[in-house]
Amino acid sequence: MLLRSTAYGRIGVLLLLVVAVAAWLLPPYYTGLIALVGLYSLVTIGLNLFMGYAGQVSLGQAAFFGIGAYGSAVLATRYGVSPWIGTIVGAILAAVVAYALSFVALRLRENLLALATLALGIVIGVVFSQWDYLGGTSGIKGIPGFALGPHLFGLRDYAVLAFAVLAIGVWFAGNLVRSSFGRALIAVSAGELGAQALGVDAERLRRQTFVLSAVYAGVAGGIYASYQSYIDPTQFGFLLSVQFVLMSVIGGIRSLWGAVIGAAVVVALGQVLQAVVPLVLPSARGDFQQFFLGIILVAMLILLPRGIAGRLAEGRA
Amino acid sequence: MLLSSIWQYVLAGVVVGAIYALVAAGFVLIYQVTGIINFAQGEFTMIGAMTAASLAAAGMPLPLAALLAVLAAAVVGALCYLLAIRPAAKATGVTLIFITLGLDVAIRGAGLFVWGTNPLSLNAFSSGTAITIFGGVLPPQAPWVLATDLVVFAGLYLFFRHTYAGTAVRAAVANPPIASTFGIPLRAFAFWSFVVAAAIGGLGGVVIAPIQSPTFDMGLNLGLAGFVAAVLGGLDSLPGALLGGFVLGIVENVAGGLLSTGWEEGIGFLILVIVLVLRPQGLLGRAARRA
Amino acid sequence: MTAGAPASTATLAVRGVTMRFGGVVAVDDVAFTARGGEVLGVMGPNGAGKTTLFNVISGVQRPTAGSVELDGTVLTGMSVDRVAGHGVTRTFQTPVMFWGLTVRESVAVALAARETGRVYPPPPVHGLVPSGLGLPGRRARDEALREQADALLAAAGIAHMGDRVTESLAFGEERLLEMTRALAMGPRVLLLDEPLSGLNPDEIADVIRAVRAARADGIAVLLVEHAVGELLGVADRVVVLDHGRTIAQGDPKAIAADPVVIDAYLGDELE
Repeated sequence: MLLRSTAYGRIGVLLLLVVAVAAWLLPPYYTGLIALVGLYSLVTIGLNLFMGYAGQVSLGQAAFFGIGAYGSAVLATRYGVSPWIGTIVGAILAAVVAYALSFVALRLRENLLALATLALGIVIGVVFSQWDYLGGTSGIKGIPGFALGPHLFGLRDYAVLAFAVLAIGVWFAGNLVRSSFGRALIAVSAGELGAQALGVDAERLRRQTFVLSAVYAGVAGGIYASYQSYIDPTQFGFLLSVQFVLMSVIGGIRSLWGAVIGAAVVVALGQVLQAVVPLVLPSARGDFQQFFLGIILVAMLILLPRGIAGRLAEGRA
Repeated sequence: MLLSSIWQYVLAGVVVGAIYALVAAGFVLIYQVTGIINFAQGEFTMIGAMTAASLAAAGMPLPLAALLAVLAAAVVGALCYLLAIRPAAKATGVTLIFITLGLDVAIRGAGLFVWGTNPLSLNAFSSGTAITIFGGVLPPQAPWVLATDLVVFAGLYLFFRHTYAGTAVRAAVANPPIASTFGIPLRAFAFWSFVVAAAIGGLGGVVIAPIQSPTFDMGLNLGLAGFVAAVLGGLDSLPGALLGGFVLGIVENVAGGLLSTGWEEGIGFLILVIVLVLRPQGLLGRAARRA
Repeated sequence: MTAGAPASTATLAVRGVTMRFGGVVAVDDVAFTARGGEVLGVMGPNGAGKTTLFNVISGVQRPTAGSVELDGTVLTGMSVDRVAGHGVTRTFQTPVMFWGLTVRESVAVALAARETGRVYPPPPVHGLVPSGLGLPGRRARDEALREQADALLAAAGIAHMGDRVTESLAFGEERLLEMTRALAMGPRVLLLDEPLSGLNPDEIADVIRAVRAARADGIAVLLVEHAVGELLGVADRVVVLDHGRTIAQGDPKAIAADPVVIDAYLGDELE
């Protein structure tokens, strides 16, 4: 396995401390980006468990991210529920939806599974934009932020919160991956029939992993909703799912720290592109990062199929 | 009153379904020859539509603009294969899926660079008023769309059934290792499948441009609809692509008309999920049930 | 020595199994019984339907007709993992390796399934959640699995391979690993699909030894093998298939002399 570090927990805490310090030193704009990296990393870890370890494909992760966000947002804005609880409920909702969908989607193989998760992701997105209870196309405004007692969270607090939750998420995933559950996952993705002949119910294993990945996305989504204070359906579409896949691929789909690397790279890249491209091509408008993200995804897959973390592990071996 | 509305929706659905069928045909073609699901298929249609529209707007006569548009799409298809698919020859299925996904995003982004966000427009190929059938109205471009479908699908059928090259391709698809021992060039076939699929998509784009304002991101929806149509018809069936396209177009439009346009997008994907669960081989596909 | 003898001797009954693919009849009304503590050899020329028969018994394929029962429980129609859960496991013509795991970890997967009652994973509250939280109880059990795996590897004579990644194994080592893995899940019926092909004489001796040990433990061993000499040497009874049909059943010595059998093998080498 890549990066056989037994110190997931300790490195996570270290990273958290680094972030906490950085959050206090950097201007708020960058602190906000760090928070975003933390949240996206959380989603990507869930995705890596499903894609890298279970060996499946999901092009609909943004939908679970959205369910977490909408769940928490609706509870907070309509029923005055604290975002702390709202995030947990949002994650549970995402888990329930994932569980239900898994009976449909997980019976399919690679190509068709990719299509099914893509389709389901889009259907959920359509629900977001058509259901008035969720604010329809206008989304939900004025989502209350997190608070600890009287202290309302600012950008710095969100950065710390995101990485604190991320540290927990990495620790959990790290434990899981090195347990018999993780071994069974690898066995099933490497030789499904062989694993089944030993009594491993591959579909059930994948279902549990799928639901877990939805929980990761849902938690991140709940925090995201409060962090943004405004959400609308366009934020949770197919393109975001592609970005999550990109983060996964760049970092290395079977690497947990790769998820953080991937998220950081994609977010940083987005910023760089936004700054640089208008200088080079003044007529460029709109969401032009797309082009580069697409090219990078293709290039990564051809040149560095095991991602950055994979490359580092190979260099070490 | 309701019946005439439904009929109108059906007619609109037939027209858009014809384009879905073309996208689906390109999709099935590549899948059959290479086993790859080409997520970028819809973008070829976008390239055809946008190129034709912008060339025509610059004053070029329509037939020339159309030809160049199809060529442009074909060239992009060739580049996709040469730069992204061929180098990844040893990749797993999952990796290939992501590669075509990346291509899809990249081409759309390139479209944004070249043409910006404004929608373009193209005049219908024949002037004249709308055509009425049983009280329903078809835009004057509609016969061109349907004729294109006819020509393309008939051409594909004739090629695969009645030419030596087509038979060779079918042999290669059925049993690649044996085919290659017969000297059948699998790589060349893969290359040409991309080129032809792109050309077909591009042609579809040219022909639908007068009806659907071409924009840089039209490929996403068309591509996804094409996938649904192809899966619905059967990923290993070209006639299935034709059937799937029309069924999807009609169902989408009728449902969208009766419910609301917002749900239209979702209908297609619900159909996809239902098909994948109940009959993964599609309406006309062959069930390949290996344990 | 295997992971522990099953409580009672199993009886695997194959009743009138027929497998039709379109126009081809791969298996035609095959019936026989295999009992715990015996080695049943399944012989036949190429294309006789042996692997298809194994596929049906193990649940990889569903027969067109007929049934497979284990001690009265009907196995036909169950998925591969549920069949395995009832105690029927198999190896494959080309060994299935779990790339990404070490040899020890591969065996541990079989043990983990056995720990939870032979179907894995358990409900999340017993498996996923305690594993993710790193609960000491779960950790201790995982450690116990590792030690058990080591013990099994030692018994099979491959303890030195424990830390090697399965990607690095030679073919013979893969076969041994697959066999050890299969035995680790404590099966009552073991289907071995050509376990000797591609092995050198030393490795063949290792596998035959393991087969004898499995028999001694009360497992019903079904052995498909092209090396007819070896098969006749270790089998207690033999079933001979030709074109999907049973053409002979019985004592290995009688089978070896049976003109019907020899005739079917005409053109194949009888060792």
